[in-house]
Amino acid sequence: MLQIHDLHLSFGDKEILKGIDLELNKGEILAVVGESGAGKTTLGLSLGGLIGRENPAAGRCQKGGQAKGRILFQGQNILSLPEEELRKLRWNKISFVFQNVPNALNPVLPILEQVAEPYWVHELGTRSRAKERARKMLEQVHFPQAKNLNYPHELSGGEIQRALIAMALINEPELLVLDEPTASLDPLTRREIAKLLTKVTQNCAVLLITHDLSLASVLSTRVAVLYKGRILEEGSTEKVLQTPQHPYMRALLRSYPHMSTSKDLQSINLTLEEPLQGCAFRPRCSQAIEACARSSPPLLEFNLSLGAKLKENPAAQRPLNIASKVACHRGGIIPYLVAHRLAKHYDQNFALQETSFIIFEGETVALVGQSGSGKSTLAKLIIGLEKADQGKVLLEEEKVPFPRDQKFLRRVQIIFQNPYEAVNPKMTIGEIVEEPLVIQKIGQEKDRQDKVLRVLEEVGLPKSDAFLQSYPGTLSGGELQRLVIARSLILEPKLLVADEPTSALDALVQARILKLLMELQEKRGLGMLFITHDIALARKIADRILVIENGVIVEQGLSWEIITRPRHPYTKRLIEAAAAI
Amino acid sequence: MLYKFWQEALEYKETIIGIILGVILLSLFVILPLFFTANPYQTSLNIFSPPNSKSLLGTNDVGQDIFSRLIVGGQNSLRVALGVGIFSTFLAVGIGVWSALAGGLIDNLLMRMVDILLVIPNIIIIIIISAYVSPTILLEIIIISLFTWLVGARVVRAQVLSIKERTYVYAAALFGAGPFYLFLKHLLPELIPLMLTLLLQGMRRAVFIEAGLAFIGVVNPNVISWGSMISQSLNYYYLDVWKWWLLPTAGALSLSLISLTLIGYGLEEALISSSERGKTIAADS
Amino acid sequence: MKQREKLFTYVATLLFIIILNFLLPRLMPGDPFLAIYGEEAALTLSAETKQELIAQMSLDKPLWIQFGAYLHSLFRGDLGYSYALNAPVSSVIAGVLPWSALLVGSALILSTLLGFVLGVESGWRKGSRSEKLILFSIIGISGLPSFLIGVIFLLFFAAQLDWFPLGGALTPYSDFTGLTLLQDILKHLFLPAMALSLTQLSEILLLTRASMLTNLSSPYVHTAAAKGLKPLGIRYRHAGRNSLLPVSARLGVSVGSALAGSLFIEIVFAYPGMGDLLHQALLNRDYPLLQGIFLTIAVTIILANFLADKIAWRIDPRMREE
Repeated sequence: MLQIHDLHLSFGDKEILKGIDLELNKGEILAVVGESGAGKTTLGLSLGGLIGRENPAAGRCQKGGQAKGRILFQGQNILSLPEEELRKLRWNKISFVFQNVPNALNPVLPILEQVAEPYWVHELGTRSRAKERARKMLEQVHFPQAKNLNYPHELSGGEIQRALIAMALINEPELLVLDEPTASLDPLTRREIAKLLTKVTQNCAVLLITHDLSLASVLSTRVAVLYKGRILEEGSTEKVLQTPQHPYMRALLRSYPHMSTSKDLQSINLTLEEPLQGCAFRPRCSQAIEACARSSPPLLEFNLSLGAKLKENPAAQRPLNIASKVACHRGGIIPYLVAHRLAKHYDQNFALQETSFIIFEGETVALVGQSGSGKSTLAKLIIGLEKADQGKVLLEEEKVPFPRDQKFLRRVQIIFQNPYEAVNPKMTIGEIVEEPLVIQKIGQEKDRQDKVLRVLEEVGLPKSDAFLQSYPGTLSGGELQRLVIARSLILEPKLLVADEPTSALDALVQARILKLLMELQEKRGLGMLFITHDIALARKIADRILVIENGVIVEQGLSWEIITRPRHPYTKRLIEAAAAI
Repeated sequence: MLYKFWQEALEYKETIIGIILGVILLSLFVILPLFFTANPYQTSLNIFSPPNSKSLLGTNDVGQDIFSRLIVGGQNSLRVALGVGIFSTFLAVGIGVWSALAGGLIDNLLMRMVDILLVIPNIIIIIIISAYVSPTILLEIIIISLFTWLVGARVVRAQVLSIKERTYVYAAALFGAGPFYLFLKHLLPELIPLMLTLLLQGMRRAVFIEAGLAFIGVVNPNVISWGSMISQSLNYYYLDVWKWWLLPTAGALSLSLISLTLIGYGLEEALISSSERGKTIAADS
Repeated sequence: MKQREKLFTYVATLLFIIILNFLLPRLMPGDPFLAIYGEEAALTLSAETKQELIAQMSLDKPLWIQFGAYLHSLFRGDLGYSYALNAPVSSVIAGVLPWSALLVGSALILSTLLGFVLGVESGWRKGSRSEKLILFSIIGISGLPSFLIGVIFLLFFAAQLDWFPLGGALTPYSDFTGLTLLQDILKHLFLPAMALSLTQLSEILLLTRASMLTNLSSPYVHTAAAKGLKPLGIRYRHAGRNSLLPVSARLGVSVGSALAGSLFIEIVFAYPGMGDLLHQALLNRDYPLLQGIFLTIAVTIILANFLADKIAWRIDPRMREE
């Protein structure tokens, strides 16, 4: 019904939309999500030809702007349709529910008149028939009948929104554009309006523009993620909101407070840098490669590559019902580390039975289980402290050798359970932090010192010479663990394997260390395999949780799902046993 | 601040044209009298004389030299304009700032007074007062000023109130700044563009009202004014004399007023656009 | 402002005008009797009548008693006696009122309609060449006093081109009736009304235009465009209708300024309204008449303001609440 091909839209030399491709069919609700300034509203307005057309007769209410590309509505290009033709399309076929801002409705006309207006303007009937119909429409959206003749300033936000919806539906449009239809409403009204919208939009195609992810999840069947005028990801609502493929969408979800999240809110690198070429998201992206700076990635069918090969482990990756698209040179968030059918046994006893899982770039996966469940074994197998009996480990889609080479160890680092044992008390703090660089023979003396100071600052430790010259014996547990983290950061790893990194610490210190790790994740796109026996802790920091019992991963999934809907009895027991106050 | 405002005002064609017009008028008034000198009060028997080499615009019904009267009328207009412009701006700023800073009862009383004085157009009140006192120039300046500061005071008050509420003023106060410092450093500079605009508009209004008063005949008859020249010449419209009596006077008055109006408009637009930009900056931060 | 506050303002204004009227002649140096009645009266009146009048107005008593006497006569509708015209002031004024009303009323209607339409169109076409030119000339004209425009009209359209009569409201000594009378009235009315509306036009135009600029970027105007309304509908039904609000709110002020402008226009065209009468009173130093005119004008303006507020409340649904 609606096809948008390579739509570019600019005001002066500012390009708002930079090549949008979208398709929308009858019965579908496509949500376009993104931050303010992404170009969502511009996209919506362009569908009604309200923007991006040369139209000198229409005066200032048309915002102007130059458009390239095509917007095909039932085969007609809206961008080049004569004004009179377009006028007949407007509201008859394409109508809008605009945001409920002040003056969304004309302040000096009664509601009924405004709702009825499109009907007689398009000569579908007389004015009195129009009013008759408007009355029916208002009733349909549960607008209080007694207020039909009131003026906008006498209505509540919810009532205005209902009137706006009734007005949009009066000419039975085939395409409905909803622009933030629930913004500025209180939560309860918001839910009612969302319910109403699901009911009334069944017969038309809907483009929903919103920054409200929960509204998108309630209403839409598909989601497109808009960032700086480009679509970064598109797919079924469930798919995109549960397992986002693009780092931006993941960041958006991580920053969005909703009831099903259990992890703390996280942001993403904030930058004002506007890349002149290449991927618009590159300055904020933690997995950017050279190609990202050269060209803007096209929106392509998402290729599961490695993920697809892991079909035998369906929980790692939800099945894709609808084709999902992502605009990323790396094909979306890359599977950073893949453990494929790893197994290990000591003296006939399986410490770990065949186990597979993925850790995506910048993702925190918690491995939860009792002591002796095999979780530490798994960590050792991955980092290469022990050799697996079978299976393989892939890092950035490449098989890693055993023993691990230095290339691997630069990208994956481990933080041990007991910080007191993790450092050599005979070395000065400076030497401890610098050690990995010395070992890997990286950089000159001077560069190394700079790096040491930088990582110490990053973990919140002093940078004074006196501190560098002192010995770790004087440090507290928390400080020691910071030191250990600093030491592992100095190699700039992309993945940290943290084996019960806080179990030896007080709760207050633990909270500080966890905050630090989350911050590092935000800043560096650091991925983490977090090994713990504490499911309450896992819930707060992990995107996904793997539950391990007796060397078998019995359950895995998104943290909030595991917590709210545990399936395996062992998981249930863990949750019951978790600390509650 | 003032320079920037001025730059902005110059972006409006109206301002530039107004200034050019004003400069031309002023220079004519300076240059031409060097060649044509006559006593504007001296009557003669040579009445309704057409323009000649001695008197540029001929003579009027009692044989006075029209050109020299035109010049003196212009000078009087300018005097009234400057006097009223300065005095009424002073009143507007004084009362506006006082009202805004005092607040409470005083603010209420002052603004109510403004409301009341604004109901009847000021020209009508000025006419009735002038009818009794038959003012000379100084008195005229005072009377006109007393009834033309009202709108200005309202605008000044609103401006001061909005500045007063800005965070940086609170911040400065919290650093320990006294009211005197706040007024000089944060309030006054912001008011200067507004004061300039009020001055220009006050001048325009003064020329406008002065001409009206003279036309209707309530000003002291000894004061030479364009307004009275127009009303006198109108009695002889059936003679050719209007071409060099009425027309140049009306022209001089029109052009002066148009010049002042255009400059005033440009300043006001610049003022509005800069305050709107201020709003968006405030909204962004 | 709330309705009650407005009412207070009007009452206070009336009081201010009455006090001004009362004080002005009494504060003048010299004989207050002369300042109140004018020289004409002093010459024609006998000593006894003079004494009688002084007693009646308590001129020999303290100021506050005089004020009481003044108020008393005002409330009886007594505006004094014009000795120059030899008639009660109130009846003299009543005689000219219809002409003033005709002139001011027609000019107001003309300027409001024209100013509104031009304002809407100019806001809609903001920035175009023709709009800039029109705006520029309107701003230029807006600075001119009404009598100047009147003089220019009189010179060209009446004196030079002879299209219209030179002055007055009716052709003297003609016994027109019916249609010819109406035609005669309109012919005399045309130039002064045009001149007056031209001076009033700019304010309404600029006000409408500024309001249009705000309204055109309002969300409901966008909605109207999306609804598929024709440009004319967007312009007038939505943006224009809202731009009418400030115009209607200023109606009272417009009446005042039109009335003030008409005083001058009437002098230029010798149109027999309040302005012409005022001019005569000034020439004759006829102070009772002067005071009567001033008071009448003030009361008219206050009443007009009051009515205009009612209209504004009617038009803007948001104000009805208050």
